[in-house]
Amino acid sequence: MHQLPQQLANGIILGAMYGLIAIGYTMVYGIVQLINFAHGEIFMIGGFGALTVHLALPAATPLLLALPLMIAGGITAAVAIAVTAERFAYRPLRGAPRLAPLITAIGLSIALQQAVWKWYPDAKKARVFPQFTGDSLHLLGATVQRGELFLLIAAPLCMTALGLFVSRTRTGRGMQATAQDPDTARLMGIDTDRIIVIAFTIGAAFAAVAAVAHGLKYGQVDFRMGFITGLKAFTAAVLGGIGNIYGAMLGGLVLGIAEALATGYIDHIPGMAQFGGGSWKDVWAFVLLILVLLLRPQGLLGERVADRA
Amino acid sequence: MTHAQTQPATPVIPLPPRAAHLTTLTGATLTLATTFLAWTWTTTFPGNLTINGYPGGLQTITLTGATLTLLYATTALAPPRLQRLLAPAGTTPPTLLLALGTFAATWYTLAAITLDLGGLVNLEPGGYAAGAASLLTLTGALALPNTAPTTTETTRRTPWQRLRHSLTPGPPPPPPRTLPTWAETLTIAAAFALGLLLLTYGIDTDYGELFTGYLILTATGLAALHRAGLTTRLNHLTTKHRTTTLTAAFTAAACFPLTQTNDTYTNLATSILVFATVALGLNVVVGLAGLLDLGYVAFLGVGAYTAALVSGSPESALHARFPFWAAVLTGIAASLLFGILIGAPTLRLRGDYLAIVTLGFGEIFRITMTNLNGKTGPDITNGAMGIPNIPELNILGFNFGTTHHLLGIPIGRFGNYYLLMLLATLTVVLVFRRATDSRTGRAWIAIREDETAATAMGINAFRLKLLAFALGAALAGLAGTIHAHVITTATPDQYQFAGTVPPNSAFLLAAVILGGMGTITGPLLGAALLYLIPSKLDFMQDYQLLLFGLALILLMRFRPEGLVVDRRKQLEFHEPETPTAKAPTP
Amino acid sequence: MTPNPAPPLLHATGITMRFGGLTAVRAVDLTVHPDEILGLIGPNGAGKTTLFNCLTGLYTPDEGTITYAGKPLPTRPHLVTRIGIARTFQNIRLFPNMTVLENVLVGRHTRTHEGLLSALLRTPAHHRAEHTSRQHATELLEFTGLTRKSDHLARNLPYGEQRKLEIARALASEPGLLLLDEPTAGMNPQETRATEHLVHAIRARGTAVLVIEHDMRFIFNLCDRVAVLVQGQKLTEGTPTTVQADPRVIAAYLGTPEEDPR
Repeated sequence: MHQLPQQLANGIILGAMYGLIAIGYTMVYGIVQLINFAHGEIFMIGGFGALTVHLALPAATPLLLALPLMIAGGITAAVAIAVTAERFAYRPLRGAPRLAPLITAIGLSIALQQAVWKWYPDAKKARVFPQFTGDSLHLLGATVQRGELFLLIAAPLCMTALGLFVSRTRTGRGMQATAQDPDTARLMGIDTDRIIVIAFTIGAAFAAVAAVAHGLKYGQVDFRMGFITGLKAFTAAVLGGIGNIYGAMLGGLVLGIAEALATGYIDHIPGMAQFGGGSWKDVWAFVLLILVLLLRPQGLLGERVADRA
Repeated sequence: MTHAQTQPATPVIPLPPRAAHLTTLTGATLTLATTFLAWTWTTTFPGNLTINGYPGGLQTITLTGATLTLLYATTALAPPRLQRLLAPAGTTPPTLLLALGTFAATWYTLAAITLDLGGLVNLEPGGYAAGAASLLTLTGALALPNTAPTTTETTRRTPWQRLRHSLTPGPPPPPPRTLPTWAETLTIAAAFALGLLLLTYGIDTDYGELFTGYLILTATGLAALHRAGLTTRLNHLTTKHRTTTLTAAFTAAACFPLTQTNDTYTNLATSILVFATVALGLNVVVGLAGLLDLGYVAFLGVGAYTAALVSGSPESALHARFPFWAAVLTGIAASLLFGILIGAPTLRLRGDYLAIVTLGFGEIFRITMTNLNGKTGPDITNGAMGIPNIPELNILGFNFGTTHHLLGIPIGRFGNYYLLMLLATLTVVLVFRRATDSRTGRAWIAIREDETAATAMGINAFRLKLLAFALGAALAGLAGTIHAHVITTATPDQYQFAGTVPPNSAFLLAAVILGGMGTITGPLLGAALLYLIPSKLDFMQDYQLLLFGLALILLMRFRPEGLVVDRRKQLEFHEPETPTAKAPTP
Repeated sequence: MTPNPAPPLLHATGITMRFGGLTAVRAVDLTVHPDEILGLIGPNGAGKTTLFNCLTGLYTPDEGTITYAGKPLPTRPHLVTRIGIARTFQNIRLFPNMTVLENVLVGRHTRTHEGLLSALLRTPAHHRAEHTSRQHATELLEFTGLTRKSDHLARNLPYGEQRKLEIARALASEPGLLLLDEPTAGMNPQETRATEHLVHAIRARGTAVLVIEHDMRFIFNLCDRVAVLVQGQKLTEGTPTTVQADPRVIAAYLGTPEEDPR
């Protein structure tokens, strides 16, 4: 069990990343009841956006200096795509039966993946993402790489900012209102269209931050990186209680830790020797999802909402 | 007081009707003639369009188009009885569409020649003549008057509105005299024979350019027949004689191997059948019960792997060789079991969650199959290498691997499997039809329409959803067992969510939706298109998935009900024509 | 009217339903006797539809017991229909893209048993069952006057006929108790009178009726007894005449008159 702090550290870092991406899913679902299937690709595009900025800067620029610009680049790219998608693909389908926006989202997801694969230079394989060189840090018995520190700082910052935004600003409160009852919100003069755009924007921005973290941690970005990660992030959103932004982060952390523990410890369980390790971690993530949906479908922080038939 | 009849609307190009007809007729005849000329000087462009007097390759497409245009243009001037026969809903829309199709196909050919060979210099005078003649035909057709009733005022309409009006079919014609049953049966048989010919031509195209030309003309041609009112007529007949229709369809399909001289395209056709059958199975889940299953291909995989494991393949971990009927039953049972295992916990969830969970299961299946390779798990499935070398089927002494002869025509390995698969397809179609038209089918549709109301009617929604899900799984399992034998391997990578080679879950869903949910012909047609187009137009290899994604987006935006319209669905997605009285707010 | 001596068909006591901090229904007792038409009135938001949802298993009340024909009410809606309670909805919930006949056939679901296997095999039993179902459905369409429209899509029906179809569909399950949620909302006087006749005829066939309504004349003409729900609680109950004259009921609808300034 000496590995525990390390596994926990891994889990928290992974979980923070899932959590940031999950925010995007949960905000959009909370307001328009749409699973934005393409959100994983928004995450991926954020990563590529950051990479582009990095490549555009002179080669000698220290990473620490370049990082804010890369983040800005990633956010710009992700937000641009997200807002365009909302405006041209999702908005026209607001009143349509549930299937239509979902299929559109799937199509968008595939199209975005392929567009990057085809047109981003050398994107057919993974592209190298800059990483911090230097020694890892030792915190509380666990080894943390420098790149991972970024996430440990960025995630709480983002969450705090978001929390303040939602509870203290007019727009934020308008967002809460729209999530609860869009028709009434509109009647009260809240511009629901604008709120929706803002939700997409925030989600995309957070996903871009997560993508930069992903790049810093793994040293690469790949056109397929959005698919499984996106799926897991949605799992995290559901785990935490869909529509609840704190739930999204909590769900992300729970999922990340569960994944890390599963990778580290499942093979110690008698009979399961072959089911631990990296190849099965995705499976365990899904198993967790199914368990949660069976036992507590509203998620950890969700509330039972009455269906006023 | 002026007379009640409004003046017929001006067509896109204002010409006196006589001139319009004359232009169209002349143009069509000329276009026809130019197909006998040489369009290019080199045989580098496939199809050999270099010989005067013998239309080849894409020229035959233009030839067909011109002939049909001529036919419909003449019908406009024919006695009313002939008009009612060929174009009961009006002659202008089909003529215009056919002229448009011929024009598009011809100019596409000329463009392809120019681009492929590198310059306009490669076009012979015959090509230019064809271009001009088809343009002339189109011009004439655009000037044809349309007698359809106008809905907007006739003065000062934009050219686009005028074009749309020219394409509007007239009021639904009175139902035709009922023909004696034998005549109606013959009509149905002829229609399906024609369909077979059309499909065979498409499958047999050797090169992408020909397929594109074929696609252009077929699409506009079918649209033309639809606007002429002929498809509605056929619909009446097929609804009246459902069993005959089914027999005709499957006889036509069974004749396909007989039209082939070698096995290459039968292979393609068999794959299309597998894909189509699985799509139809998904149609039960998505189209009837409204359950969004994004991991459906996993059930195909379960069936395939089960069959592979009991097939006697040397790489199979189970050293067993079941007779075929047992393998099929085992495959179905395995899929059914997995369907229930997956459905039971998840079908109580909201539809959106179901989508994600099924997607997850699809991925879990693939990952598990890859991982059970002896290193990261017990060696059951041989991991990423899969289970190859599945032996040929041998049912009652009939060896599927060898070529047999029927009426002197050789039917090779793929022909044999094609016919076997066709039996499976027939089973699935029958299951689908009978299920829809029953208490269970109605309950499924009710759940799809309004689950709360359905439960208030006493429907146990969970049980029925599970039934639909399990049935869908079982049908996919059936197709999977045969699929495994056709391609002789089962590997995990064949069963992904999205990939370049169908079947995969995204393509399957697209086939069902593109074709038309809830109908029988819809998914079959959708599957055929989605399989054929990527495999024929392989010069678009890199762009395939990108275009696929874009196509999904556009489809949902502009025609979410799909190609074959279940009359229910079209009303669901578009405004109803007859305004219904809305309840005034109390 | 003389009190009904038969044992109650539906007996609900102490029903309380809360949603988060809001108590929508508080300690409501309700009894419906066989062959009775009971009206349920009250201002908007009084909790009438919520009560309906509790009586049909859509909601599980936080407190209270409900029995039907002496047995406790099942908790799942489809089981409630099976034991004999059917309902219509305040906002019409037909199956819009199914025909009128198909809608009614779906209503018969709980009284028929042929399963998928018999449908796939097209057994003679299946054919017989389908035939019987269609007969029942057609008869109900005649009863409600919708025969001519039996092949029309439910979505295309005019409003008044949609309401009738909902009733026909609910009757298809042969209920002992029919719950009607504002059946005459948005109707003109002729349609309202026609609905009155229909409900009388339904009672004559042996089905008790519990009806939520705002149209007082309708209630007065139709109901044997009336219960009044205000802000989730039952204010009073009695014959239409008694209830109509009760000053508390008037106050609930119209508000108390201003205090006389002196």
